[in-house]
Amino acid sequence: MDSTENETKVNGKDQEKVKSELLTINMGPQHPATHGVLRVEIKTDSEIVSEAIPHIGYLHRCFEKHCENIDYRGNLPFCDRMDYLAAMNMELGYCLAVEKMIGTEVPRRAEYIRVMVSELQRVASHLLFFGTYAIDLGAFTPFLYAFQERETILRLFEELSGARLLYNYVWIGGVWNDIKDEQLLRIKKFCDKMDGELEKYWTLVGHNKIFVERTANVGIMDTEMCYNYGATGPILRGSGVEWDLRKKRPYSIYEELDFEIPVGEGEKGTVGDCWDRFSVRMQEMKESLKIIRQCLDGIEEGPIMGKVSKVLKLPKGEIYMRTECPRGELGYHIVSDGGKVPYRVKAKSSCFTHTSMLPEVAPGQLIADFVATIGSVDIVLGEVDR
Amino acid sequence: MHKEIADFLNQKVSGAEAKALEAEVGQSSVVVKAEHILKVCEALKDSDEHQFNVLQVISGVDFPEGIGEQKEGVIEVNYMIASFIKNTELILKIRVPRGDDENLPKVDSVCGVWKAADWQERECYDLVGIDFIGHPDLRRILNVYDWKGHPLRKDYVVQETYQGMTVYPPDKRNDPEMAFVGEQNRLNDEAKAAAKKAKAEAKGESS
Repeated sequence: MDSTENETKVNGKDQEKVKSELLTINMGPQHPATHGVLRVEIKTDSEIVSEAIPHIGYLHRCFEKHCENIDYRGNLPFCDRMDYLAAMNMELGYCLAVEKMIGTEVPRRAEYIRVMVSELQRVASHLLFFGTYAIDLGAFTPFLYAFQERETILRLFEELSGARLLYNYVWIGGVWNDIKDEQLLRIKKFCDKMDGELEKYWTLVGHNKIFVERTANVGIMDTEMCYNYGATGPILRGSGVEWDLRKKRPYSIYEELDFEIPVGEGEKGTVGDCWDRFSVRMQEMKESLKIIRQCLDGIEEGPIMGKVSKVLKLPKGEIYMRTECPRGELGYHIVSDGGKVPYRVKAKSSCFTHTSMLPEVAPGQLIADFVATIGSVDIVLGEVDR
Repeated sequence: MHKEIADFLNQKVSGAEAKALEAEVGQSSVVVKAEHILKVCEALKDSDEHQFNVLQVISGVDFPEGIGEQKEGVIEVNYMIASFIKNTELILKIRVPRGDDENLPKVDSVCGVWKAADWQERECYDLVGIDFIGHPDLRRILNVYDWKGHPLRKDYVVQETYQGMTVYPPDKRNDPEMAFVGEQNRLNDEAKAAAKKAKAEAKGESS
């Protein structure tokens, strides 16, 4: 342990030597600001963090071992329990990987519904980020504003799939339940209302002087560090790189849709600080609403499930499929030996790689800044531990 | 694309014996010899025409019965690398003999090339059981630090006790024959009623 001995002189007389050493303290696993069961062991020198070591594994539920014993369709409910706040995107990634191996064609209506539902889920996830990030920094009211808007989305998902948070809705070959015209109208009204709400959030929180002072120039992650660690999603975009899988390696019907990729520019501080990541997520919500409006205009009539055989057997081989989720890139590596049950399923989760960046960003920050950094990385422990 | 990468690697790193595995279904990959993985990764990252600057995930797959013609057990370690500058991706494979819990197979760590390898290799060590030489801090990441065994191996049997607690007690196991609590109570009541009725009939007949 480091220890320094300081001599203090009071009134010209030598006082006793004051010994100071680093204090090892636990942040978590039960902590309101770590967004789940994450334990960070920090060594602090008064209020400044000098070393941070994250310990994970408190939510390990053996997803990959379960997948080796259950057939392809039965694995779907396990997938959406990984990142439980963005369940539709988790299921979509798995379904796309399996469909690519067997070569099914998904009907057009199902593609439109899938994209609409994924983008609504992205808005809901970013709203939750907005609410909880404000709470981490001490502002309690935006949380309720965000959750009020999120209620509309969750109510719609409950009518579609039967559950508010873990859906089992996107199936291999299409979607499970059809969407009615009246629900499409409600989505349109929600999009119009949300634009106004986003302006409100920018004025109240985004450009707020206290918020800017707490998040600008804090937790800077530059491009080199992001590439080295494999960071993706809003973290990479907040550092100035224009990389979004929906544009660079498009899947589903994203090629036909028109939207932009927001990038952090260092408007309030340096490029790659916490404010940039916050601003990228807020702008992404606006782009998602644009995509949803285009889907509402273009949705066609037709079936919602493609032709998939009753007993699903994948041919021998492997595939690695990447999709863009609200927190980063999600990858599924599926190895099949020709049977009904996958041989190996590996889920590459973005939050796992992002948590590994914390030990490098932490040294030199105040503990309050460290809390702001963890919040801006936006981890969900279900995806870290699987 | 995989053929060019295999030729490039054979030219750059002698002894790597890179081979492109073209697949009709699914994704193709490039397999190299396990001893040269560090040099291969450095060559792929530093080359100007490929520039693979991101390591996404390291995935270990256990084949106790071997792959293809080889009949000894192998573990296949897949490195999914990507170039965010050229917008390409590649699956790089190595095959190492399985070993067992006492002597784990040894592979060079690529932490010096990409820092992402740090936690990915820790997870591979924890779940599949591969010893990475040169890793700065190789310990378990998802399981408890003093767990025994490597769960994603195909011959894994969970340990009986952990620090004095039984790991899989028989009374908490899922038994397909056992009914749920309400159902079990109803069945018990019916059995009791049936026994009472039979007793009453026997008494009525005898008297």
